[in-house]
Amino acid sequence: MGKVTIEPLTRLEGHGKVTITLDDSGKPTDVKLNITALRGFEQFVVGRPAEEVPRIVPRICGICQTAHHLASVKAVDAAWGAQIPIAAEKLRELMHLGNMIHSHALHFYYLAAPDFVLGPDADPAVRNIIGVIGAAPEVAKKAIAMRRFGQTIVEAVGGRPIHPVTGIPGGQAKVFTEEKRDEILTEMDAMIEFGQEGLAIMKSLNEKYLDTIKTLGVIDTWYLGLVKDGKHNFYGDTLRFMSPDGKETMDFKPSEYTDYLGEHTVDHSYVKYPYNKKVGYPDGLYRVGPLAMINVCDSMATPLAEEARKEFVETFGKPANQSLAYNQARLIELLSACERTKQLLEDPEITSTDIKAEVQPKAGNGVGVVYAPRGTLFHNYETDDNGIVVKANMIVATTHNVPTMEKAIQQAASVVFK
Amino acid sequence: MADKVRLGLIQLCGCSGCHISLLDLHEQLLDVLPALDIVYAPIVADVKEIPEVDVFCIEGGARNEHDEHLMHEIREKSKVVIAWGTCAVYGGIPGLANLYKTEEINTTPYYTKTTDNPGVIPENGIPKLLDTVKPVTDVIKADYILPGCPPKPALNAAAIVALLNGKDPELPKKIVCDECPREKENVFPKEFKRSFEGTPDNETCLFEQGYTCVGMGTRSGCGAMCPSANMPCRGCYGKTDAVLDQSASTANTYANAGAPALEIPDKVGLLNRFSLPAALISKKVQK
Repeated sequence: MGKVTIEPLTRLEGHGKVTITLDDSGKPTDVKLNITALRGFEQFVVGRPAEEVPRIVPRICGICQTAHHLASVKAVDAAWGAQIPIAAEKLRELMHLGNMIHSHALHFYYLAAPDFVLGPDADPAVRNIIGVIGAAPEVAKKAIAMRRFGQTIVEAVGGRPIHPVTGIPGGQAKVFTEEKRDEILTEMDAMIEFGQEGLAIMKSLNEKYLDTIKTLGVIDTWYLGLVKDGKHNFYGDTLRFMSPDGKETMDFKPSEYTDYLGEHTVDHSYVKYPYNKKVGYPDGLYRVGPLAMINVCDSMATPLAEEARKEFVETFGKPANQSLAYNQARLIELLSACERTKQLLEDPEITSTDIKAEVQPKAGNGVGVVYAPRGTLFHNYETDDNGIVVKANMIVATTHNVPTMEKAIQQAASVVFK
Repeated sequence: MADKVRLGLIQLCGCSGCHISLLDLHEQLLDVLPALDIVYAPIVADVKEIPEVDVFCIEGGARNEHDEHLMHEIREKSKVVIAWGTCAVYGGIPGLANLYKTEEINTTPYYTKTTDNPGVIPENGIPKLLDTVKPVTDVIKADYILPGCPPKPALNAAAIVALLNGKDPELPKKIVCDECPREKENVFPKEFKRSFEGTPDNETCLFEQGYTCVGMGTRSGCGAMCPSANMPCRGCYGKTDAVLDQSASTANTYANAGAPALEIPDKVGLLNRFSLPAALISKKVQK
């Protein structure tokens, strides 16, 4: 019997390792994904005034901090019964899209692309973004430009490019100026083009590695995503589960999430294993993120992305169950985020000064959900009469995927060690 | 330190925001990167063993035994260690955990209402939590500190350039108020407001309007980003060199407002938002 430990897991944020136990013939008998970090946000937001929590929880993740900021402020609004002005809603969505563009560009070009652009057999020491800059400088420059564009939007709307601050109960703290809007618009069409080019690169890489994509890490799971009127929506209002064969869907509202989501503690990981409660554990394990989002929606909300989604369905099926198809799904979302950003920038209401309603703190229970770049994100707080947090529950994006990542690694190990 | 600097980067008990802020040099990355040989950086490159390095930037403090172990290994293998970002220097937001017993931090997540098997506490193949969150500077000697949550890209770049030229990186010495464009009349508020109350005037000092800004106790360097976005400073760059303790120096100003300051909710979480593990008060809180 042998043991293989893969540590640290790289090109991710957070901390994990993989332990693979092998039998005498070298076949894996047990494969575990250990998530090795726990920080305790669910405990230490307790006792804090709820309006401060959107300024604390972004530190859960420095990449998708905006998603945490927004899910958090949505949860406080819900707990206190605040109705926010439409313009504030649009500003929050715009801030969110900026974060989505930065993060999806980061994830694809900086983290995933090195394996494809330089090839999976390239020396690990060069298989990174710096290797990409050397091998394909034009691709790298576009990646940098897209990230900058996204971060510029978050800074303009959220006050800071990392850990934004302008979401407050009742709306937004800062008006978006026409000057800033016009400045950002000058780059908009170029970004939509880059989005299309990224997708083209991915499609050509897919052809090259199609055998790998169709065999490695292919697993059947449920999918969970966010929609609005059935359409793909990063900032949507309805959660949707889809069964592994695509035949069954379940729609529910954020406030109903405890009826649909359960979490199961396992001994070998700080992360709990979420599952579809209507199905049970472990049959109800599901995936979130771009693949799930593309799987569960009826259509994309923007035209170029919808075309790309149809092609995706032709290549991978609906639902697609290939883990490596995440990359193409992510690029469809990146294009869609750019298209939607343009719509919002061209909306005259985006520079409105009517961005905040008066609110009163009160005892309540609120759930806030957005689609973080790696998957659906839940924040849920209970507050006391003074609006101080007394209880918190958070199910963060990657958490949903951990059990099925483990499954995909188990499947991959059985292929690699056969 | 001429030629290429062998650089190591790691995120421990942080959020990777400092790494992202380095990437936020954007196009300037193409100028900076050729001077660097990034020999270890789990977040962007697939290297498993920590090699000998010239400069190691540690993001985040120590939350568990493994973090602490890695800090010692990094110290042994590095010529220069930088405590990178506020979590590394002062403990940062995760340091708020020090207001609670370690047992609560370790068990609360396993009793939430969505947990179907409450009370099972994971312990296999994962590192044990330390009793408190510890900044890098509590565990090993750091040659330099680079605070900020996260440090601005320009601060990151300036530190790298200084080290390339064999100089010590320099930090801003002033306070956030010195960078803040809002007008001050040097008056103290008669009452304090929470950030959702009313609409602040865009031109004048948020503290003087009664909002709980802590810029007067906080090192500059951010360009007063939060007050510029109509939100009070929360102290993310930590204290200045001139004082012993961030919360004490801030509280000193607040005390001038008299009794209303006593009504502010969660004073410990406000005045020590980013620096509790390094604060004088933390020793008392743990009793």
